[in-house]
This record gives sequence, structure tokens and C-alpha cells, in this order.
Amino acid sequence: MCSRAIMLLRANPQLFSFRSSAFPKAFQLKKRFYAAKCSLEPPDVPSLAEKARISLTPKQVEEFAPKIRQVVNWFGQLQAVDLQSIEPALRADTEGDNLRDDVPQVFDNRDAIIAAVPNYEDSYIKVPKVLNKE
Amino acid sequence: MLSSAQTPRLLRSPAALTFKCLHTSPILTPASTSPSPSQILTNRKALLSRQTSAVDLAKSFLQRLRRHEPQISSFLYVSPDDIVLKQAEELDNRIKNNEEVGPLAGVLVGVKDNICTRDMPSTAGSRILENYRPPFDATAVRKLREMGAIIIGKTNLDEFGMGSTTEGSAYQVTANPWDLSRVPGGSSGGSAAAVSARQCTVALGSDTGGSVRQPASFCGVVGLKPTYGRVSRYGLVAYASSLDVIGCFGSSVADAGLLLNSISGFDNFDATSSKQEVPDYASQFVPLDYLESKPLKGLRVGVIHETLGNGVDSEVVSSVRSAISHLEELGCTVSEVSLPSFSLGLPAYYILASSESSSNLSRYDGVRYGNQVFGEELKSLYGDSRAEGLGSEVKMRILMGTYALSAGYYDAYYKRAQQVRTIIRNSFKDALDKNDILISPAAPSVAYKIGEKKNDPLAMYSGDIMTVNVNLAGLPALVLPCGYDGGSAGMPVGIQMIGAAFDEEKLLKIGHIFEQTLEGYSFIPPLVADE
Repeated sequence: MCSRAIMLLRANPQLFSFRSSAFPKAFQLKKRFYAAKCSLEPPDVPSLAEKARISLTPKQVEEFAPKIRQVVNWFGQLQAVDLQSIEPALRADTEGDNLRDDVPQVFDNRDAIIAAVPNYEDSYIKVPKVLNKE
Repeated sequence: MLSSAQTPRLLRSPAALTFKCLHTSPILTPASTSPSPSQILTNRKALLSRQTSAVDLAKSFLQRLRRHEPQISSFLYVSPDDIVLKQAEELDNRIKNNEEVGPLAGVLVGVKDNICTRDMPSTAGSRILENYRPPFDATAVRKLREMGAIIIGKTNLDEFGMGSTTEGSAYQVTANPWDLSRVPGGSSGGSAAAVSARQCTVALGSDTGGSVRQPASFCGVVGLKPTYGRVSRYGLVAYASSLDVIGCFGSSVADAGLLLNSISGFDNFDATSSKQEVPDYASQFVPLDYLESKPLKGLRVGVIHETLGNGVDSEVVSSVRSAISHLEELGCTVSEVSLPSFSLGLPAYYILASSESSSNLSRYDGVRYGNQVFGEELKSLYGDSRAEGLGSEVKMRILMGTYALSAGYYDAYYKRAQQVRTIIRNSFKDALDKNDILISPAAPSVAYKIGEKKNDPLAMYSGDIMTVNVNLAGLPALVLPCGYDGGSAGMPVGIQMIGAAFDEEKLLKIGHIFEQTLEGYSFIPPLVADE
């Protein structure tokens, strides 16, 4: 995965053309650093589909896997950036929290919510049985 | 020109206009080929002075909509004529009785289909929400209605906002009114195309990584992305909650600004909405007669160095450079600004967006709403409902997001992307401390041909390079048409102006003056101009 990622970076100059001469050393790809740190398992698409609760046919797995791998490899370029002592930003934080009081309010159109439920019976939302598989 | 409630903010000594891009007519006229400063205000004046009726106005829009729909397909749902005309009739009665009418009275608005409208389907461009009717209006929609606007229909989009061409819609492909073999951009392609083809006056879209700005550029209309928190997200189908905003389309800067005026403000139902006071954006649209000869004198404009180099079409670069000269003529001081972390924004954005979307879209499980595929047991109900209801691009992004958030990978991807967000936010803040606005193209190219980017995700993602950083930093940005691709395509090119947080006023002021003094361009697609 690591050497393929570097080939991807080399093969797509137009994606990285913004790495102009103004790009300071801290942000330039350190290939040896990247190769040494690269110990993440590539995406296992069937397992991810199971986690995300999306049923995929084998044909779809075959179709998606290379594309997903390609994009995840591309994500990998962030591994090489020196981010020590940079605080992660939850969001743009243009303003602080604006929380309201924790007071419940009644929604005025509950009938419409219930009308949208595909399978509703005697005030229960109906779903099939839950099977606990090991 | 301005509504009766507003008075123009006059500059101290309105001297004779001396620079060559203006006619020297004593009458209040902008450059002859400029768009009307505001279609909203022009129509409003005609309504209030009884020159036309809201019913006639609505009929003409409905007729134009239906005339162009077979070629453009910008709408997923069009409000039935009788409902639209009834609202128009009610307005006409109020005008007849000299009653107060709202600032958007009689304005026909298109709403992107990922924004909830109580009486119309809201599908987010997905089969999983086919025929879904939300039990509430989005706050932005409620506000539009309170201001007197008439919602003409719901516009097409890439499914759940994921895409840059609108080809990702589960329902139909929208064509660019300038060239029907090209895309309108995405994900708010339907809204951009509808405004471009004059099927409605203004439209709402959403912008997570450029989804208002890039289609505005591709369709030759104005697109405004407000500061994160300026407009309530309540009722906007969530894609990436830390990045999503609702944005405005108009055929002029003034119209986009008037729309923003109506939908902005704090909302109890959105904890990320801002309590900052909403200025009167409408007061920025000063008639040209009242301006000094160098109306933008003293404004510092920073051109982002990394956005005019390799990988950007030469025609786009030259249009943007002409626009920069125009700004200099108007009095701006232009310099180059370097943002070295610029290119990191793209992978950081896609990590954050796919991760957040994998969480946000987990609610589409077929249980409480939407299309359901009933299964033998619960897991297959989830799995099969989602398999059938969600499109390929959506599935892929959910899977990528699931991967990036998995135990053991969170630090490597999501957390690192958040750290990159901090770097980008700080670099923009530094640049905007030294400049009033920053400039870049809205996209590296003009609109692609339909089908061109379909099978290559990275090629499609790379087109977002100009826009994603603005979402990461939460800043406002305005895109307006500034020229054409002079080659065989003849497609419009948009310039992007980026402002400091909550500084939409400055963007609108600069954009309006730029637009009204830009000679030689009318930005009306031939499809409509030939009528």
C-alpha cells in the first residue's frame, strides 16, 4: 500500500501542482518518514459494509474496492505532514456554543411523523426480529 | 431602485464618475449590458405601482419554467399551478387593499431538494427518501414564506449533496443552460440552472465543499455562501454537520444579498447558529450615481497565489486576471497572498466530510421514514433498504468515512484532518487580517461535459480545490461571473471573493459595484436571451 500510494502521488501531478515553491519544508512530503509510518491496514470493503449496514453484492465489492482504496491512499498524504502541537478543530468555530435550556417542547405535527413510518401497527413501529449472530 | 423602507447610504461628495467603464448619462443607469441591479426590486416596484400583478408574474415564470424544463430538467418537483397562482392572487389582494407586504412578496424561489418543505416532497436527490414529505419546513423556508416569497418547486442535486456535477442525483441529470451537453456543476446544480435559465428569480442551495459556488460559476450566476452559523441549518438534510451551510443563488449580487437578508439569523433549533446581529444587507446596494470615481479606494485585495498556477485552465486564469484589473480600476489595492497549506485542504475536507456523512446517513435505515425493504431480520432490513435506496457515490463515501472513523484509524485520518482544519483556519485569518477580501477562481475550469468525470472519483474531487478551504475555515464567499472561456466552449467563468467571518456586507458591497461596472457582459444564456 505504501509504495502504491507514492506512485499515485507521482502519477497525479495536477492534483499536487499547488505545492509551489512557496510551500515551506514542514509541509513537503517526507517519503522515508511516510514509508516508515505506513502500517495502516487497507480498507476491507466487505467488513466496512457490514459495519455501515449496507448489503453489497460481490460485484459491487469488486467495483468499489479499488476506488475506495485509491481515495484512502490519497487521504494518506496527511500522514506526512508535521502536525505536532496543532490543536484539532471540531468545526470552524466562528462562534462559541449557543446552547438552549434543556426544556422539552412539544412538536406540533406528530401525526405527520407517524404517517411517514413504513410499518406502523397499534402504536408500535414494526421491524423484523433481531437475530444475534456470533 | 431600493425598496421604500430603505434609504441609500450616500458617500460624502458624489463626484462625477470619471473612469471609463461607465456611461456618462445623467440618468441612473449602470453599464448598458450589466444585469438589472436587482430583479427582486424591479419586480417589486412593478407590483407596488400596479404595473403588473403577482399572478401575471407567476404565470410568466411558470410558462418559462415549463418551456425549458424538457431540456434542462432542473426541477425534481414543480408546485402545481393552482397553488402558486392562489398565493399570487392573495398577494394581489393585499396590494389592492394597500396592506403591508413582505420584502420578498411575489418572488418566485426554487429550493434545493435537501431542504425540507412541508407541503412538497423532499428527497435529497435519493431513492431512499422517494416521496418523503417532511412534517416541518426548514427555518430558511419558513422565513422565506413569512417574507412573502412563493416557492415554485424543488430543485435537483447530487444525492445528499455528495458530488460536483448533479449527475449523482438518483432521478435525473440536469443540463447547463449555456450548453446542454455540459453539467451545471454540483451539488446545487438544479438551483444554479434554474436561476440561470430564469425559471425562478432566486434559489436556495447548500454548500459543504463548494456546492453553491462551483455551480454558480459553471452557470454564470451569483452564488453566495454565508459564514457557518449565519443561516440556520434546521431542516437542511445533514451531510457534514461541521461544514454544511444553506446558500443563495441570484442573477445579480443584490438579489443574492436580499435573499440572504431574509433567511439569516439565530435559530433556537440550530445550536450552531450564530447570535451575531444580522446587518441590513440590502443597504449595501448603492446606486452607481451615488458612488465616487474610485468607489473601492482603500480596499485591500489579496489574490491567492496557489490558485492561479498549474492545473487551472488558462482561460479561467485570464478571466480572473481581467477581473483583478477591473478591481484595481475601481480603486482596490491588489497584492498576492500565499497560503502554503492550501492544497492540504482537499484531502482533509474529504476525510471530514465522508466521516461525518457516514454518521449522519446512518439514520436512513428504512425504519421510521423512506423506502423500506422488509427483511427476515433487522440487519437485513437495514442492509437491503440502504443497498437499494442509496446510490453508489453515497455508499462509497459512507464506507470511506466508516474506515476513517474506525478504532485505530481515527487518529491517523479524522484527527489529522481536524488539525489541518486548524492550520487552514489560521492561515486564512492571518491573510484576512492584512486584506479585506481574498480572491481566487471559483473552479479550475469551466463546466465539464456530461459523463466526463463519472467514473473517476479523484478527478471529480480535484475540481473542488478552490472551494473546500473556505468551508473548513467557516468563512463567507461570493462567486460572481467575471468572464467567459474565450475558446470554443464559450462558457462562463466565476470569480470567488472570500471574506472574514460574518463580513458578508463587505463582500456584497464589492461584488455589487464590480458587477454593475463590468461592461460587455450580460451573462444570460442564449437559450433564454433568444426569447
